[in-house]
Amino acid sequence: MSAIALSEGTSSSGAPMLAMRGVSKTFGRARVLDNVDLTVKSGEIHALLGENGAGKSTLMKVLFGIVEPDAGVIEIDTLGAVQVESPRHALSLGIGLVSQELSLVPQLDVAQNIFLGQTDALDVVPRGRHREAAVEILQTLAPHLRVDTPVSKLGMADRQLVEISRTLARGGRIIAFDEPTSSLTPQERDGLFEVIRGLRDAGKAIIYISHRMEEIRAIAGRFTVMRDGKVVATDAMEEYSDSQLNELIAGRELSLAMESRPIRAGNEKAPLLELRDLSTTRLRNIDLTVRPGEIVGLAGLVGSGRSAIMRAVFGIDERTGGDIRVAGSPVNIQEPKEAMRAGIALIPEDRRGHAIVPMMSVEQNFGLANQKRFASFGVLRNTARRAEARKYVSDLQIRPSNIATPMANLSGGNQQKVVIARWLATGARVLMFDEPTRGVDVGAKAEIYVLLRGLAAAGAAVLVVSSELPELLLLSHRIGVVNRGHLTQMLENGSHLNEDVLMRHATAGGLS
Amino acid sequence: MIQDAAKTPSLTTPTTRPHPINRDLFRQASVLIGCVALFAIFSILTSSFYQPSNLIDIMLQSSINAVIAVGMTLVIITRGIDLSVGSIVGLSSMVASDLMSHNMALGIFAGLLVGLICGLVNGLLIAKLKLPDFIVTLGTLSVYRGAALIYTNGQPIYGLPEGFRASFGGQLLGIPTPVIMAIVVAGLAFFLVRFMALGEQIVAVGGNEEAARLSGINIDRVKIVVYALSGLLSSLAGFVLIARIGAAEPIGGNGFELQAIGAAVIGGASLFGGVGNPLGSLIGALTLGGLQNGLTLMNVPSFWQYVASGVVVILAVYADRLARPRR
Repeated sequence: MSAIALSEGTSSSGAPMLAMRGVSKTFGRARVLDNVDLTVKSGEIHALLGENGAGKSTLMKVLFGIVEPDAGVIEIDTLGAVQVESPRHALSLGIGLVSQELSLVPQLDVAQNIFLGQTDALDVVPRGRHREAAVEILQTLAPHLRVDTPVSKLGMADRQLVEISRTLARGGRIIAFDEPTSSLTPQERDGLFEVIRGLRDAGKAIIYISHRMEEIRAIAGRFTVMRDGKVVATDAMEEYSDSQLNELIAGRELSLAMESRPIRAGNEKAPLLELRDLSTTRLRNIDLTVRPGEIVGLAGLVGSGRSAIMRAVFGIDERTGGDIRVAGSPVNIQEPKEAMRAGIALIPEDRRGHAIVPMMSVEQNFGLANQKRFASFGVLRNTARRAEARKYVSDLQIRPSNIATPMANLSGGNQQKVVIARWLATGARVLMFDEPTRGVDVGAKAEIYVLLRGLAAAGAAVLVVSSELPELLLLSHRIGVVNRGHLTQMLENGSHLNEDVLMRHATAGGLS
Repeated sequence: MIQDAAKTPSLTTPTTRPHPINRDLFRQASVLIGCVALFAIFSILTSSFYQPSNLIDIMLQSSINAVIAVGMTLVIITRGIDLSVGSIVGLSSMVASDLMSHNMALGIFAGLLVGLICGLVNGLLIAKLKLPDFIVTLGTLSVYRGAALIYTNGQPIYGLPEGFRASFGGQLLGIPTPVIMAIVVAGLAFFLVRFMALGEQIVAVGGNEEAARLSGINIDRVKIVVYALSGLLSSLAGFVLIARIGAAEPIGGNGFELQAIGAAVIGGASLFGGVGNPLGSLIGALTLGGLQNGLTLMNVPSFWQYVASGVVVILAVYADRLARPRR
């Protein structure tokens, strides 16, 4: 696997192949990138580390021409300072990005995808030549792939290989991987690592983003840690232990909320939320109970059905079988508003897409699920609503504290708190959090942990989905593992449980 | 009790951010300034533009468009579009003037009912069958116009009751009734958007439909209501049209959709959804009316006025595009 085709002259080892210097970017009022430096050498795998929302993905979007930086320069060894204007331009500069959301066209075949956009609009696409070239690239990278298979028929791992091939077909020399293993089985992951090491040995500069420490250990030579949009450290991997790296990533504040795992206090109360035999097109016979005062975590790979459980309970996905009980009585939920009436809340993962209305004020966003409560004869009772919104803003430490502020002007963490406040105000007692700390800064993250624990202590039934296993281990009394639509395990949290055990259950049986 | 648990110790230092500039206020100010500037320019270029009688004329001419534009604004706030308004004007005014020969009240009621039903059909097709608004209303634009032509086999209807013409085309305390009607309609719609739960739901649907749905808001109902209101207001505007002409034509209201969309967008409504102000649309209609009146006074051929209106509308959409934060 080491002899990658298209390997080109490796630049002399000392000088970096890629140097990003002083890159800054502000979205609205949030400074997402603050004077960021990143240098990567030829033949190096450079790990880019940081929490969700630290700015890693935005930095990669700058590199790939998706986001225009406010300041900073990008230098490439052979070209000097460049201004990356678009993904198309990035590819022509030899920069490739293999991201969480792949940019392939499922209806087209492998060869067509590899050479997509390489032919001028009015020219005839040289299919034959493309196929031959695709075969040549795939020979070393992925000999099992056929160039005429439609991408829609490929699994996630193979799609990534197509994405990598596309980058190589343009003479890619700098390739960034943004969480490439988040939906791969261990076997597929090992295969990908072989490919990445092959690229490294062929003299490419590799940037590798991942949350999983053992992966980074296995593959990266150097690292850069980002926190709150800034670079906090960059060095060789062997100089730092895992715990030192974790401390750099999380910062000090987190330790406050991260003292210990929850103690399971013999909770024998009647369940508040009960799922019996719940099935949808993506879920098979889920049995799950959450008692008042309990936090239950759900672990699993992306696409395993973790979130689908919440979507089914909340009436977003159609149930094909089984039932849902709240406080012992069955409820028939077909739509979100019926779930709401049953006292269920969902704080969704995609905050910008599914939870907030950016141009509306904090107060209006807060009131969105409480329209009936704050209106008489259809006219809004603004005074009552303002008073209650202010109370939550001060209780949850939402900043800025002016409730007339447009939601778009708040940081991710504060937006999340407004969404949580919205649902607390409905009086919901079953609270479902899908990735509650995604895109939330470190401080707000710790506050949200404290809040979740407080809610459980006050008698709510809390269900949490998270890709960050340490988060689940920290918060949950029990952790369920979802694997290909089945709830395969329900584990008591305790010292016997760790990330490895959860990962093993989550990937047991392999994917598709 | 759960609410009480929501108190968390703060672990981050509170950041004080500057008070955000009120985007909406800025938008409305630019709408008003644009309108005043246009009126000022024409007052300089021509000697008759600023005469009180001409200004009242402009208001009168703009009032039909203003009433339709208010309904259009509600639709646009939900991130929708209603291309069928002109045809609803035509169909409802034909039905109204036909039945008016028997009984005036019956005619008015029937006309409004036709407008409401036409709007309801649009809303139901869009909300329940999940069809794209653009195609649905482009289709009904043709269907409703066809129905208006079929109704009298293409013939106009003459002879409207004097009482009707006085009500919808007369004056009250020296002010033309259509102008009063436009102001009242815009005021009521403003109250709806600003102070009623339904208005907030309209904004939420346009601002982020999925977030609104997941907050338990009945998306379908909101959409059906705005299209129904758009249809109802179109029929009301149709009354002004036929009252002023004294006859109903099956092709009446042809091309009104661009005028109404233009007034809404010039008035600050965003085709990207979630933003819009019925009072702004009132000013938008006045701006477009002033433009056409001013060009006429300057002896610009009417063919060129079509070009000018279209260009202004596209410029307004572009200004809105620029005003949107990128992300």
